[in-house]
Amino acid sequence: MKVMELENLTKRYGKARGIEDVSFSVEEGEIFGFIGPNGAGKSTTIRTLLSLIYPTSGSAKIFGKDCVKFAPEIKQEIGYLPSEVFYYDSMKVIDLLKYSASFYKKDCTARITELADAMNLDLGRKIGDLSLGNKKKVGIVQALLHSPKLLVLDEPTSGLDPLMQQKFFSLLREENKRGVTILFSSHVLGEVQKLCSRVAIIKEGKIIKVETMSVLKENNYKKFRIETGSPVAEDDFKISGIRDFAVKDNVITFLFKGNLNEVTVLMASLDIRNLLVEEPDLEEIFLHYYEK
Amino acid sequence: MNIVRRESKANAKSLILWSVGSVIMVATGMAKYAGMAGSGDSMNKLVASMPKSLQAIMGTASFDLSKASGYYGLLFLYLLVMGTIHAAMLGAGIIAKEERDKTAEFLFAKPVSRTKALSEKLLAAVGNLLIFNAVTLLSSIAFIRMYGNGERFEETIVLLMAALLFGQLLFLSLGAFIAAILKRPSAAGACAAGMLLFTFLLSIAVNMKEELHLLRYLTPFQYFEASKIMDAGLDPVFISLSLFLTVGFTTLAYYFYNRKDLGS
Repeated sequence: MKVMELENLTKRYGKARGIEDVSFSVEEGEIFGFIGPNGAGKSTTIRTLLSLIYPTSGSAKIFGKDCVKFAPEIKQEIGYLPSEVFYYDSMKVIDLLKYSASFYKKDCTARITELADAMNLDLGRKIGDLSLGNKKKVGIVQALLHSPKLLVLDEPTSGLDPLMQQKFFSLLREENKRGVTILFSSHVLGEVQKLCSRVAIIKEGKIIKVETMSVLKENNYKKFRIETGSPVAEDDFKISGIRDFAVKDNVITFLFKGNLNEVTVLMASLDIRNLLVEEPDLEEIFLHYYEK
Repeated sequence: MNIVRRESKANAKSLILWSVGSVIMVATGMAKYAGMAGSGDSMNKLVASMPKSLQAIMGTASFDLSKASGYYGLLFLYLLVMGTIHAAMLGAGIIAKEERDKTAEFLFAKPVSRTKALSEKLLAAVGNLLIFNAVTLLSSIAFIRMYGNGERFEETIVLLMAALLFGQLLFLSLGAFIAAILKRPSAAGACAAGMLLFTFLLSIAVNMKEELHLLRYLTPFQYFEASKIMDAGLDPVFISLSLFLTVGFTTLAYYFYNRKDLGS
């Protein structure tokens, strides 16, 4: 069953770019990554799905129902964590969470304490006094407290320290095991790789690719930077799978896709002083998808 | 009704301050009357000797200031200004704050329609207006008994408070309407207050210049003139007009708020 179905969803803001013909669908029980650089349209898409803003054209269905027409009904089963969290500063954390719970047709008291314990959140403090990281925790508890069937997370890890990120991720995996579908938006490829089974890549308001994580990983280039003791002949590196090759002084840089053993064989004959092999960052991957 | 509860709580402090302000206004006003009452007709003579434009600005035009009722009639203008400013700011603020404080992303990710949220907010606001009105009514009755030299005109006060309520509701709906249509809702409060000031000045201009009297339909401060209400009761034309505008602004507020892109 498709939990989310976007069809040519378009949102234009006057001259400013919004999103253009965004189409993809998310299956039930999936952790779906939604990835793209800042300003690509991730938040615009999500805000349209939640009918905080309305589409210029196209449509989206959540749980098989139109996301504008049935907005209040489908939101019973959605938990949303915005990229920047803002709550009523004068309220105490517990009062905000109770207010949040009061919108749903179930008793969430036990779940609130459970989640607050898991996230190490002090319920007695005033929202206005909380650090960014703690506000984010309030956001996480607020998104999960009614045990929704669909979680929409927009840049959920920003502001969380690594330890909390880990706890948060294990919380998400638990939820996912219970059958919860997750839409996870991020501009950090690493965290999406850790969690998601499929991703949609968005750039400049358009979906460039929808791909399973495994295929995306195979297509991944590795970024090499080799520092040698003596100059290297450029011709030595004429093997297939290498691109963006450059030599400057004694430093060679290139991107490689393919059997890594071919490169290690080549390197064995070099006088290596320093070696760096990295995952290319997101911009480079985008560049790669953009050129195709 | 959770939003009604939340909004009533959030606005409680401000409501208390406004209500205290109203009590102080009535108390000091009527205490001043008590201080002056001994001087008999001299106050009327002093006012009569002032230029007509100044009388219009102060709203003293047709009151017998030697009587408590006349003095209260003068005071009512300021109570009306106070009550409507409160209502306009409340109407604008209660709607605009979700976008201004960026909590719209919280509220409208919940299973609640814009219509329902707006209804509950307006309901909470009307509750505030009723409390302000009741406090003003009770303090008026109490302080006139205390300082009014035995003059009783409580039915007139109730009538004036009814007029105040019509004014409050009108400016509440105007404030909500402005908050619903503005792209930058943080300006809603200032914008509503500005419109209120404009209609107030227009009302003074109408009082000063006979030729402008057709414009009196454009400013609610003419609808609820104390001197006319004390002479002839509420004017059905003006009351209908104010109800019509209130319903109109409210309907438009719903219409535009439902279609609005909530900014981030």
